[in-house]
Amino acid sequence: MDEALKEITSKQYKEGFVTDVEQEYVPKGLSEQIIRQISAIKQEPEWLLEFRLDAFRKWQKMTPPTWGHLDLPEIDFQDIIYYAAPKKDSERPKEIDPALQETFDKLGIPLSEREVLAGVKSKVAVDAVFDSVSVTTTFRKVLAEKGIIFCSFSEAVREHPDLVRKYLATVVPSGDNFYAALNSAVFSDGSFCYIPKGVKCPMDLSSYFRINASGTGQFERTLIVADEGSQVSYMEGCTAPMRDEHQLHAAVVEIIVEAGADVRYSTVQNWYPGDENGRGGILNLVTKRGICRGEGAHLSWTQVETGSAITWKYPSTILKGDNSSSEFYSVALTNNYQQADTGTKMIHLGRGTKSRIVSKGISAGHSQNSYRGLVRMNSGAAGARNYSQCDSLLIGSLCGAHTFPVIQNACPGAIVEHEATTSKISEDQLFYCNQRGIAPEEAVGLIVNGYAKEVLSRLPMEFAVEAQKLLSVSLEGSIG
Amino acid sequence: MDRLVVIGRDELPRKVVLGAGESLRLTVVVPQGVSADIDFTAELTGPGADLDLAGVFVPAGSDTVRIRTLVRHLSGSCRSNQLFRGVADGQSQVSFNGLIYVQRDAQKTEAYQSCNTLLLNEGARVETDPQLEIYADDVVCSHGAAIGYLSEDELFYMRSRGIPFEQARRLQILSFLSPVLSRLPEEYYSLIAF
Repeated sequence: MDEALKEITSKQYKEGFVTDVEQEYVPKGLSEQIIRQISAIKQEPEWLLEFRLDAFRKWQKMTPPTWGHLDLPEIDFQDIIYYAAPKKDSERPKEIDPALQETFDKLGIPLSEREVLAGVKSKVAVDAVFDSVSVTTTFRKVLAEKGIIFCSFSEAVREHPDLVRKYLATVVPSGDNFYAALNSAVFSDGSFCYIPKGVKCPMDLSSYFRINASGTGQFERTLIVADEGSQVSYMEGCTAPMRDEHQLHAAVVEIIVEAGADVRYSTVQNWYPGDENGRGGILNLVTKRGICRGEGAHLSWTQVETGSAITWKYPSTILKGDNSSSEFYSVALTNNYQQADTGTKMIHLGRGTKSRIVSKGISAGHSQNSYRGLVRMNSGAAGARNYSQCDSLLIGSLCGAHTFPVIQNACPGAIVEHEATTSKISEDQLFYCNQRGIAPEEAVGLIVNGYAKEVLSRLPMEFAVEAQKLLSVSLEGSIG
Repeated sequence: MDRLVVIGRDELPRKVVLGAGESLRLTVVVPQGVSADIDFTAELTGPGADLDLAGVFVPAGSDTVRIRTLVRHLSGSCRSNQLFRGVADGQSQVSFNGLIYVQRDAQKTEAYQSCNTLLLNEGARVETDPQLEIYADDVVCSHGAAIGYLSEDELFYMRSRGIPFEQARRLQILSFLSPVLSRLPEEYYSLIAF
């Protein structure tokens, strides 16, 4: 069995290449001056600069959170470049740099609408973000016909300032936590999406984040607004080059779901996880939160976390509208020296609100994998229900699997249930497969995929296929 | 060893150490009208050590019940089971925090924990933090926690068969608490005023 686990794959992180493009940077470090400079490069209105500076002042008074079950290296925030962008060709400012086009081609991200329409790639609108800027957003015209706004955050600030101003920081306030405050001060690009009343988005929307430049951090900001009765499925993917130093990724995602609207948010997180000795890798410290504002609103989070040296991420939902509902489906796989502390928060405020949490952790190698969650029933949440299930699978005797749920109930009409189990791949399961002619390494892949199936089946099709592959690849070199 | 501790009457040890082959069956009762602040640690240090811990609490009025348990599996082939049942009435506050820790190489560990609570009144508050910290792979560990209320359907079933409201409610609560109550001699039932 040990051999099987070791052999399961010896593939490399295949997205670990670097694109050689000329880039412009702001100087290293963080100060009011740098924030003003970023804001000026992006030609932002005065109110947004004020928002940034206000967040920066809050951040200066804050200290990094230490409650995670993580061994976080000390981050020198003055040693990071906060803005890096590929230089635009001054002669052809409207076109995408061929080197970038090639990068996204290599990553399998369709930037050309022609291919998609020809049926070569599946029908998805993409916002591609390279370091600190959005390279392009596809299918904007088609979506605009339905009144849907899908563009980079910077464009949204220029073209739809009222909408951005109305919703920005309404779910994650700028002083929410240390990393959210940092993001609010220095955020560069991300996606903005608005689905008008009653509109069902005709195709999946997606953002793809790529870190390329060294010594930089990525601070993306995404804002999704689904107006009454609308529907959208949103996907997010990410990769980065292989480097020996850590790189910081501190994102904020805010989702507003109005009455009767339905948002599905899926993530396949595949940031560079560091090498087998735990050197390098992305520090993924993100704040994601949505609010179900109106009656019957629905928000579903699905995440597959296989990358990053350190993951600190808790996609959460505030269930404010009566009878609103939310789900959180997660698979977190850690190998080598990766550490993940991830989970969710479900805050039930409205009557008859429902939530469901399914979390599957898989630890291998020397990794540490924790589920941390909060389910809270406020006193007005009559008839509210929550069910949580957190399972951990251990592969090898040097890793750790932990569960830290917090359950608070102040409503005698609400029910909360939580279950957690921890186990390993049993010899019996392996034997059963081997006996039927399935090779050991294949059997492990099969068992892990079966274990995660409840979550994987929630992903949009093309994501599910990628996620399945990732799960087997990420088990690379795990010691049994 | 079989031990029964009634909070307010008996002293609960803060820490017990169970060596190879030792076992302890401990039942803790927090009677109504008693506020409790329980801090309990058990260390299982030798193979075959077995801890069977159960607790029942029935706070009402302005009672506060705070329970912290820490079960440390420091050796392999040990077993621990924790079972808590509580009913919170009045303006009472309950917090339960239970951690199962399994040390590296403590293989063949079996550890279970369950803490279920019923809320009977608007003003009552319950917080439950069941936690697992596991550093060995050949283990079977699970925890479960639930906070809920008395089922209307069950009540209706009994009342439609002529059982008066008060008695039906009492039966419901007793059946909910029974996994722990069944470990007590009958004379102790009066401590739990249902």
